[in-house]
Amino acid sequence: MMNVNVQFREDGNVTRGLIEGEIDTYTAPILRAELDAIRVANGMLIELNLSKISYMDSTGLGIIVAFYKKVTKENAQLKLVGLTNRLGRLFDITGLSDLMDIEMDKKVELSYESI
Amino acid sequence: MNELQIQYKKILADYIENQTERNLYIGQNFIRQLIQKKITPEEVIGMHKHAIEEISPDLPPASAHGYDFLIEIMVHFGLTLKERQSLLERQEELRIEMNVAANIQNLMLKTTVPNTNQIDIGMVSIPIRKMNGDYVHFLMDDDTYVGVAVTDVVGKGVPAALCMSMVKYGLDTLEYAENNPAYVLEVLNRIIEKSVDDSMFVSMFYGRFDIVNDLFTYGSAGHEPALYYSSVEDTFYDLESKGLLLGVMPEVKYPQFEVQLQNNDFIIMMTDGVTEFRKDETINSREIIGNLARSLCHLSAQQMCEAIYEELQKLQKFGLEDDFTVVIFKK
Amino acid sequence: MRSTVEIITEWDIVTARQLGRNKAKSIGFGTVDQARITTAVSELARNIYLYAHAGEIIIERLEKDGRQGIAITATDNGPGIVDIRCVMEDGFSTSGGLGAGLPGVKRLMDGLEVQSRLGEGTTVRTEKWL
Repeated sequence: MMNVNVQFREDGNVTRGLIEGEIDTYTAPILRAELDAIRVANGMLIELNLSKISYMDSTGLGIIVAFYKKVTKENAQLKLVGLTNRLGRLFDITGLSDLMDIEMDKKVELSYESI
Repeated sequence: MNELQIQYKKILADYIENQTERNLYIGQNFIRQLIQKKITPEEVIGMHKHAIEEISPDLPPASAHGYDFLIEIMVHFGLTLKERQSLLERQEELRIEMNVAANIQNLMLKTTVPNTNQIDIGMVSIPIRKMNGDYVHFLMDDDTYVGVAVTDVVGKGVPAALCMSMVKYGLDTLEYAENNPAYVLEVLNRIIEKSVDDSMFVSMFYGRFDIVNDLFTYGSAGHEPALYYSSVEDTFYDLESKGLLLGVMPEVKYPQFEVQLQNNDFIIMMTDGVTEFRKDETINSREIIGNLARSLCHLSAQQMCEAIYEELQKLQKFGLEDDFTVVIFKK
Repeated sequence: MRSTVEIITEWDIVTARQLGRNKAKSIGFGTVDQARITTAVSELARNIYLYAHAGEIIIERLEKDGRQGIAITATDNGPGIVDIRCVMEDGFSTSGGLGAGLPGVKRLMDGLEVQSRLGEGTTVRTEKWL
């Protein structure tokens, strides 16, 4: 049974969210509900860590974009961190990496440096 | 009801007399009949009580009270059962409605591949479920231009299907194959962004083939890049064009590029793989498709498409889990 | 030939059940039907207790064309039902998967009528015939 888990914590003036598990048609509503529950205020910085996502399909992408639009509308900022190569490519192809603030997974970057 | 009562008593009496497996089996078969006749659990217990009282008339009063109690409780089980039956019927109705919707959808979005001497065009588009999340649209202008839009609606089910209709509507209004990709994508983006839910959007690869000059102009909105094979160089190139998915932001400009087609060159446009992400995926699907196509390039465009689909189906580990669409333009 | 029970406390539901069962028995309904009629009374009384907090259950004997029957009427001055079609539909959200509620009462009896006005109250009437 696929599962998704979202945990948030306040870190100073940054709201950090860690998303774990799989995001597909079945688990997406859970993720959406969690993101909808966040009260987004002017000037807030929200950081979503995607490094522990083992699977994401188009529905997940949709949820993240919808959240991005909500955040931007409230004059807050969204940053996505911990993207693996695959996720990074996905955001790249769809043009979302130009639109959104994205940071690749540090571990991945390091492995490139060692080559 | 009386008839059933008599039958039930006989079956029960037989078992009380002789506790054989056969008698139990007969009993279970009988219950099947009762269930089909929509007899409720509390009625069965009522029958049982009645039968037992006739079979063993000198049972203590506690026994009769026990049964009355059980009957009372069973009423709620009976109601739950009826609700379940009712919901199953409703579910079946909905499934039929969905089928009708899917059929209408498929009819509306039927694509005819243009026939022209100047360029060989082939297409395969197979949905993984009932409703196809991919859509291919051709435009043709009297032997001057052929336009092709390969679309992948991000999302599944009825909302995605409705979104698809928007795309078709948009492309129909644009009418002319002469329109350049940057313009087409810009217009469609506006239409989709306005009308669709915040988490619905579309990836599209739009190409325009100039028949007179053998020039293929293309643009992409968040879509998987196409593959271009140069026969002379025996090399594949990615036809990339960075553009945002349709429907995300209201005003977006799209770049476009062009490539000159020589004899025996071909272009492969596809949809699968864009929005699927599995961490352990080590397969380079683009490379596989490319090599496959190269080995099949002596076939017609349509044959190539079909062969590619069949080969990829066979490669089980490819794990085809999405709608599959391939379009080939072959000179 | 009607009897009335006021529903205010939860135990009033029991009184209403008793009344329903006795009436059903006297009219001639069998054990299983008695259980069903009593359950119907119970559900309706419970609705009053849970949502309207006060109301009454009226039980009467019916006679028509030589046939005997029983009628249960539940009335209250509670908040009323927002969407009657909604409460008459099967579904886990309303019954919690227990199959009860108004759709359940409808299945236990022979007919059901609902009248409700927002802010004024609700009247439910249901019948069962021998």
